[in-house]
Amino acid sequence: MAPPMIDPALFEQLKTKIEEDTSVRKELDQILDDLNQHVSFTQGLLSRIHSTPRAKYATLLGQVEGGIKKEIETVGKLSAFASQYPYYKYNHKWTRMVQDAIATVILCAWLGGMATDSKPGEVGRLLTLENIGQAFNVPVNLKDRDAFHITVEEYLLGLIAVIDDLSRLAVNSVTLGDTAMAVQISGFIKDLHAGFQVLNLKNDILRKRVDSIKYAVKKVEDVVYDLSLRNLIPAQEAQ
Amino acid sequence: MSGFKRDWSGNAKRRDGPKPAAKQVVRNAYTPMFESLRNELDEHHDRRERIVKASRDITALSKKIIFSLQRVRKIESQLPANIQSEVDSRLAEIAKLLATIAPEIQGINRYRYARSLMCLEELVEALTFAHYLRTQTLISHAELDPTIEDLTRKGTVPEDETMADASDTAGTAEKPAPPPTAEPPTVSLTQDDYLYGVFDLTGEMMRFATTSTALTGTMAGGGSGEGDGGDDEPRTIVHDMHELGTLFEMLPVGSGNRFQWEKKLEVTRQSVQKVERLGYDRIIRGSERPKGWIPDLSADQGQGDELE
Repeated sequence: MAPPMIDPALFEQLKTKIEEDTSVRKELDQILDDLNQHVSFTQGLLSRIHSTPRAKYATLLGQVEGGIKKEIETVGKLSAFASQYPYYKYNHKWTRMVQDAIATVILCAWLGGMATDSKPGEVGRLLTLENIGQAFNVPVNLKDRDAFHITVEEYLLGLIAVIDDLSRLAVNSVTLGDTAMAVQISGFIKDLHAGFQVLNLKNDILRKRVDSIKYAVKKVEDVVYDLSLRNLIPAQEAQ
Repeated sequence: MSGFKRDWSGNAKRRDGPKPAAKQVVRNAYTPMFESLRNELDEHHDRRERIVKASRDITALSKKIIFSLQRVRKIESQLPANIQSEVDSRLAEIAKLLATIAPEIQGINRYRYARSLMCLEELVEALTFAHYLRTQTLISHAELDPTIEDLTRKGTVPEDETMADASDTAGTAEKPAPPPTAEPPTVSLTQDDYLYGVFDLTGEMMRFATTSTALTGTMAGGGSGEGDGGDDEPRTIVHDMHELGTLFEMLPVGSGNRFQWEKKLEVTRQSVQKVERLGYDRIIRGSERPKGWIPDLSADQGQGDELE
């Protein structure tokens, strides 16, 4: 008896594997739905920064931190679930959303939020990749084992989103009469821009987004130029 | 021999002298952070580069194996010797390449570089095709895994007898694998590598069915297996194609890459229908020609002697 072309068990094995994969994706989608909701909410709150004078930051950032807390919880769930499977098999499903979540945390901290016992909140504080990992309570840049973590790319892409937002804030802070803020943002963005020049980029999404930083730089430079032209730059900030 | 450049004060500039410090980057508070991130990214880019290079070579070699296999005319337990040796030497080269990238795609990195490892699909296609030509069956993922692990292991041991005759062509020693310790790392296949490789197998089977039928006048799989206990007609490649087609039709669509799946399924359907048509043509027109009749171009293969 010649064996059949396809062993009947073979079909069953393939089918089971595909079904497993599908159910993992479904479950991930549910978690990501939640995350999406919290991230959108937090982003919405943060957009109020453009119309909030600096004196009222504390209240606003308190609310934002509430949103971030939910993000952190959901990322914790995601981490627990996703760590059961090969990380990069499903990473593409959440990487955008995690980047957005990272961006909200970086921005909130830069504006003076996310204070911890050891580090008081202050305007201009940049959270590093390690800080972000601590904030979300997940590992970063994992190499030695296959589990959920935040990647270097995700951090950098999140940071670029913050740069975009800050360049907008530079304009709006001037409108609110806070010229010192615009000057500080300008210095920060220029420093980061110089920092991104240090990277060796390949022709990928990161490269594309890094290229966009120069427009943010130009935007804040224009603001600072307008200010200096009219002698509106506060004395202690002027250089 | 030509002149040399002088600097401002008239001293000759040395060609290979220490280069002036490359574009000094303005340093600020964040520079160290970016430098360390740069190192992380570089590591990743370099690794991917090495994998992509090896992958491209493995793909090319796998395609050559498939071309060799397409010169086979019928299904039998041994491939013709000349083809077998072609396949073996290509496999030996593939083994070396696999061994060089094996350490790079362990653990978390397996899926990280999955898209740079399309070569594995091609390799699966070649291996499943070879297996089909020998046994007229579809090899399973579980059976294929050890084959590939074995290949990787052979590639790691340099003085293996099968390696001896393999010509060292491509500059494979891109990054020497760490000296094999207890157990050298091996390359694992993902479910997708296997499935998409088998999708492509249907195309090769279609091509094989077409050429072998045209040149031998019989449907592959049918003639040779006679007398092994089967009282019915022996199974032909038409039947095998139907089975493969059914397999894919019945499998749930992988939700990861629905688009690619649908595309491959469509191609498979077309291949199945081409072979169907071939079977039909042979029944209709085949009755018009004596059994065993073959076209003139292969006239050396003995004349048909009896008419039915």
